[in-house]
Amino acid sequence: MGPWTKRILFILLAAALIAHLFAAPTTVAQTPASTNRPDISFADDVYPILRRACFECHGEAKQENYLRLDRREDALGLGVIEAGEPEKSELVRRIQLPRGHEGIMPAVGEPLPKRDIDVIKRWIKAGATWPEDFQPGEHWAYVPPQRAPLPAVQDKEWPRVPLDRFVLRKLESAGLAPSAVASPEKLIRRVYLDLIGLPPTPEEVEEYLRDPSTARFEQVVDELLSRPQFGERWARPWLDLARYADSHGFQRDNLRDIWAYRDWVIQALNDDMPFDQFTIEQIAGDLLPQPTESQRIATGFHRCAPINVEAGSLPEETRSEQIIDRTNTTAAVWLGSTMECCQCHDHKYDPFSQQDYYRLLAFFNSTELEADRTSAKPSSIQFSGPKMPISNPARDAKRTALEQQLQSMRVRQNERREELSQSVHAWLPELQEELGAAPRQHPLQIIEFQSTGTTDTVQVLKDGAILLEGGDPPETDTYTIRAQSPVSNIRGFRLDALRHESLPGGGPGRGDPVKRNFVLNELSVELRPTTDQPDLENALPRSLRFSKARASFSQTNWAVDGVLSDKPKTGWAISPRFDQSHWATFVLEQPLDVPEGWELVFQLKQDYGGARTIGCLRLSAVTGDIDATPIPEAIGKIAARPVDEWSPKERKQLVDYRVAHDYESHAIEQQQAQLQKEINQLAPDTTLVMVELDQPRTTHVFERGDYREQGDVVQPDVPGILHALPEGPRNRLTLARWLTSTDNPLVARVTVNRWWAELFGRGIVATPEDFGIKGDPPSHPQLLDWLAVEFMDNGWSMKKLLRTIVLSATYQQSSRVRPELQSLDRQNRLLARGPRFRMDAEMIRDNALAISGLLSLNSGGPPIRPYQPAGVWKKVGGTAYEYRVSPGSEQHRRGIYVVRKRGSPYPSFTNFDGTPRLSCTVMRSRTNTPLQALTLLNDPVYVEAAKALVTRVNNARPDSSIDERLEYAFQLCTARRPSTTELATLRGLYDQQIASHQDRELTDEEAIQDAWYGVATTLLNLHETITKD
Amino acid sequence: MRLVAAHLRNQLFENEIVNQTISTRRQFLSSVGIGFGGIALGSLLQRELSGQDSTHFQPRAKHVIYLHMIGAPSQLDLFDAKPELVKRNNQPCPPEVTKGRDFAFIGKTSTLGGSPWKFSQYGESGQSMSELLPNLSGVADELAVIRSVHTEEINHAPAQMFLHSGFGRGGRPSFGSWVSYGLGSENEDLPGYIVLLSGPAGGAGTSLWSSGFLPSVHQGIQFRSQGDPVLFLSGPDGRTNADRRRVLDALQALNQQHLNDTNDPEIETRIEQYEMAFRMQASVPELMDINAETADTLKSYGAEPGKASFANNCLLARRLVERGVRLVELYDTDWDHHNNIQNRLPKKCKDIDQPVAALIQDLKQRGLLEDTLIIWGSEFGRTPLQQEAKPNVKLTGRDHHKDAFTMWLAGGGIKGGTSYGRSDDFGMDIAENGVHVHDLNATILHLLGLDHTRLTYRYQGREFRLTDVHGNVVQEILA
Repeated sequence: MGPWTKRILFILLAAALIAHLFAAPTTVAQTPASTNRPDISFADDVYPILRRACFECHGEAKQENYLRLDRREDALGLGVIEAGEPEKSELVRRIQLPRGHEGIMPAVGEPLPKRDIDVIKRWIKAGATWPEDFQPGEHWAYVPPQRAPLPAVQDKEWPRVPLDRFVLRKLESAGLAPSAVASPEKLIRRVYLDLIGLPPTPEEVEEYLRDPSTARFEQVVDELLSRPQFGERWARPWLDLARYADSHGFQRDNLRDIWAYRDWVIQALNDDMPFDQFTIEQIAGDLLPQPTESQRIATGFHRCAPINVEAGSLPEETRSEQIIDRTNTTAAVWLGSTMECCQCHDHKYDPFSQQDYYRLLAFFNSTELEADRTSAKPSSIQFSGPKMPISNPARDAKRTALEQQLQSMRVRQNERREELSQSVHAWLPELQEELGAAPRQHPLQIIEFQSTGTTDTVQVLKDGAILLEGGDPPETDTYTIRAQSPVSNIRGFRLDALRHESLPGGGPGRGDPVKRNFVLNELSVELRPTTDQPDLENALPRSLRFSKARASFSQTNWAVDGVLSDKPKTGWAISPRFDQSHWATFVLEQPLDVPEGWELVFQLKQDYGGARTIGCLRLSAVTGDIDATPIPEAIGKIAARPVDEWSPKERKQLVDYRVAHDYESHAIEQQQAQLQKEINQLAPDTTLVMVELDQPRTTHVFERGDYREQGDVVQPDVPGILHALPEGPRNRLTLARWLTSTDNPLVARVTVNRWWAELFGRGIVATPEDFGIKGDPPSHPQLLDWLAVEFMDNGWSMKKLLRTIVLSATYQQSSRVRPELQSLDRQNRLLARGPRFRMDAEMIRDNALAISGLLSLNSGGPPIRPYQPAGVWKKVGGTAYEYRVSPGSEQHRRGIYVVRKRGSPYPSFTNFDGTPRLSCTVMRSRTNTPLQALTLLNDPVYVEAAKALVTRVNNARPDSSIDERLEYAFQLCTARRPSTTELATLRGLYDQQIASHQDRELTDEEAIQDAWYGVATTLLNLHETITKD
Repeated sequence: MRLVAAHLRNQLFENEIVNQTISTRRQFLSSVGIGFGGIALGSLLQRELSGQDSTHFQPRAKHVIYLHMIGAPSQLDLFDAKPELVKRNNQPCPPEVTKGRDFAFIGKTSTLGGSPWKFSQYGESGQSMSELLPNLSGVADELAVIRSVHTEEINHAPAQMFLHSGFGRGGRPSFGSWVSYGLGSENEDLPGYIVLLSGPAGGAGTSLWSSGFLPSVHQGIQFRSQGDPVLFLSGPDGRTNADRRRVLDALQALNQQHLNDTNDPEIETRIEQYEMAFRMQASVPELMDINAETADTLKSYGAEPGKASFANNCLLARRLVERGVRLVELYDTDWDHHNNIQNRLPKKCKDIDQPVAALIQDLKQRGLLEDTLIIWGSEFGRTPLQQEAKPNVKLTGRDHHKDAFTMWLAGGGIKGGTSYGRSDDFGMDIAENGVHVHDLNATILHLLGLDHTRLTYRYQGREFRLTDVHGNVVQEILA
């Protein structure tokens, strides 16, 4: 037997042993590793495999090919199992067929693992005993967890905390020893990354190295648990579950304000809010007696569901989708159960019925519509779910003071109006004098109107205005208008952009019912011979020249003069004053008379995009003193008539006019506007919350999952297989109390398992999203139960549980993959070594920013925007979204604060398996791709971090040698000192970079900078730098 | 890549004989990086262990070029001639025809709209098409036109998601991700699933090419026509290739040292990914540069170097397929013609007609068509009813229609010149041989050698499929 064969044999032996360890989760093997194998138990070993792998198609509900395997007489009597002769049993033949073979069983999904096949074969070999009185036990996950007695272990020294005994027991049974404790540098880095998501500084590492005792480690842990960064690190996985994002998702992926919920989660984690309370506030904070603002913010959990506000979507369908999402998410997060399987039919293997599903859904069925039509038009759908203002005492006080000031301004304004009204007769002569000099407008007669884009209706109204109607304005448009002037001696033209009820939101712009802006980029006017003038056929058109323009109002940076400039990106716009009509006057350089046989041709170019075009406009010729204030025709007419003939309405019109042109009134108005602006800026932030309807909705079963097909009426209730609903009204609050009842067999296990997976890279149950029959059985069932019970007994304290785990010997092992482990337990199921795996997307960024010294620890508030390549947000589904990088250090805040847009997520996170948060994500995948390499090498965020790292090293070690600086930089990235070879490699790179500088035409100074940049990039890209190990 | 493959084989082998801790692909993948190539775990396992091919049965096509017209072109004005509608233009629709149907924007009382464009029979097969596609009609005998496609969703984003993932909300993998998962990429230096856009993305944004619950290595990667073709492909200014290589060599040496110290196989993969990234920095700009094409080729597509257009993307699709990319999806925008269809549809047809025909001919000429499946279509179709009909306008526009629309397939494994399925005289419903989106997706997978009922992934306790629990292969269009 050669060494190779020996090795394989050894592996096989050990494998069989480990296979057995996992095959019998409920019993601890009593015999040491190398002796005989214990008997197979039908109830504990065989039946769970059959149930998991076979019953879906060969069980009570379905008997594919007339085969039924869930009952003794069928299973043994149909000839697929030959007792004592596994190799003659069809069942064994089928489960041993190669992957992809047509006849392989199970027909769908992964082939049975070898250890399961082994169990089945041994069972058959031993006579395929199926006790006649066998009653299938309940699936382990539905039996409440209990603390098992701590198992006896041989190595009494190794365990530090009770949980270590479970781990060690299993290792000893497998004949494996645990790994040595990790080096202090690696251990402190590991616990920093795990608890606060940031690396320790070299100074913190050094300090720990001076006293790496257990007591000191405990101090470090306690200190980390109390840092505000703890909540920021642990909010990330929770927000994946909550599918928290800053936009709606789907076609109209607009941003929404719900960041207060994100901050709530961070705060609750920092406060170590007991998990039961944490649950109750998120599921039903609004239903608590006299809920606090914070408790209502917490209900944002379920407002995080994506929502479809696409024009033409059906509000009831959208609502149904959302409550389905809420039901599925609740089941996944708190029950580790795949309730979504029961939307259309009873669950195929887990004990949940379709009725169960809709009973659970009924708890969520009584909130308002969150997308609704604002008119009968299908396109008027708007996001409409309840928002809550968030108090901010300092800001609220300031706002109240300003509001009071504004109120007194209003009083003063009314007084002034009264004064002007009283003296209106005395003012008449003054008005008449102005009238004599004022310019007058004379609407032009429209001959023809053309648009380059629109095919909607165009009509000329009685007052000469042109109205464009229809729901399909083109993105950009140029109007060409042929017109005749009724007057001569024209000094200029006036363009009125008018509001009209048929326009979206009443206009004046056509593009959007809310932002009713328009942008007039260019106006040109030509004199042209009229088309029916054959003798002028060869006459050339003549362009008219303007000297200046003025307008009733111009938007900042969009002054009306821009219309006359040749620059294409200038023009006249009116935001935010959409609520009124506007005018602009264009003054001709020379007075104009339109000769006989000629006409005016206007071109209005509107190129901004988004249909920012004028929906209703009127063109007029202006005569008289064009620089004088124009006085409306109507005012002139009233003023010309005797005072006693005025109607009250006409009198009011005159007073209005006088007020509008009164200096003092104007000043008051300006002050008011300023105040209003300040008040608006101080408007409270809002967040999305749950609000229960006064009258609950009736819930029906959706037949085949279709919300339009209403089946039986159901009442809110919980699945019958689980513990009973506590006393109380059947609402979300009672449901939340049920979820966190200590009778709930699932919630504590599911929760601690997720945390375990965060720390160790995989859960004790490797399918954290599924604790059902098809889920993976726990690798250490008693450990899982011990942790679950410990968690509940410690008042549902997350921090206490994490503390216990990180203080364990299990956690503190070195993560080096001992050669024998690589072959025996590559996935570290047995926990014979410490965890090592790539950091998550957010942590990779936080880590790089922290290492380079760029990281800002500012917390909370609206999302921030780091650099991302141009155009990522530009247009999604027809809407353009502006992306402006946050100023200064804001862009360097932690990843938890980065804006989450579901339709176009932050690319560098996506490349590292970040989720777009389209739905509840229990575990992210963890891949290793070339795009990740490109991101770390070239994403400007990481380029900037590399440069900053150079600065940091040089500032911290100004007088040190190159090697010392290299060492320091290495330490910043990995927490440990480089080995001699590692240092030599870095030094080699540095020297080569310097040596090559002449090829690259760099100065000495530049060459040094550049060499350091190369070093810093290398270090930030190290596998070790992005790995928690 | 040999290195990684060999390494993988070892791991797989050891896993197989040792402790069988792989119970799902996800768990395996979550701890092993695999880059772009050789990703299909099941298939790789099988290939490596049994030396068989990765597919469930003999594939008819190796690549897919999916042409998605965002917004939904009107089948009634392009492929599905309806004399009855022309006859009844601007007349009310008989109520029994609209009974039980929902429309996104219009009411059931809208009037019918006949096509103002002329339909003729083209090719030996007599494929019926309208005058708006003069070039495409020249290759009519290559097409299998299905005039009876139907879907479940009536709004763009959900319908786009449904077409791509078999589910009307986010979170599920796109068909491209399924294909990448099932087959991997033939070119280890390029992603298996590449997306090209002319115009903005569809309403569902990047979720259309999301890998959902599949490992993110299967997500579609957008290749851009402006800026970096792949995000972060090019480094900061002033870095030379030699420069990059020096950094990479040091990085690889340090990673290798760390691998020696820790034995973490993940580091080995990481080293390989950096080499791949380095190669991509040269190969991707090269493949995106269509200047290398002859003037005749450029002309046949109507492509212009440096421009972002559907024509350029068609040409790029060929270049990608040539290099072994499994699935290339082209999105073209602005097909949502609720109104002004008389101007807008001809304009859009002009954008795509020549390049699509050129793509088919070019692939054929190069012998690539037999291995490449081309699919043309959209998230749904358009209604026989007009939207806001006007007395003096022949046809204003059409609303979303999910109950009967047209898609066509060509190339690998497709029986050219086929017409399959029929809509009723109004184009309102299926008259014969309906093809649900799940059927279409089942057929696409079938052509690639994958059984849609067996290409599964376990997630949340369920074996998920692209086709949910539905789908029948449309045998009648297969060669």
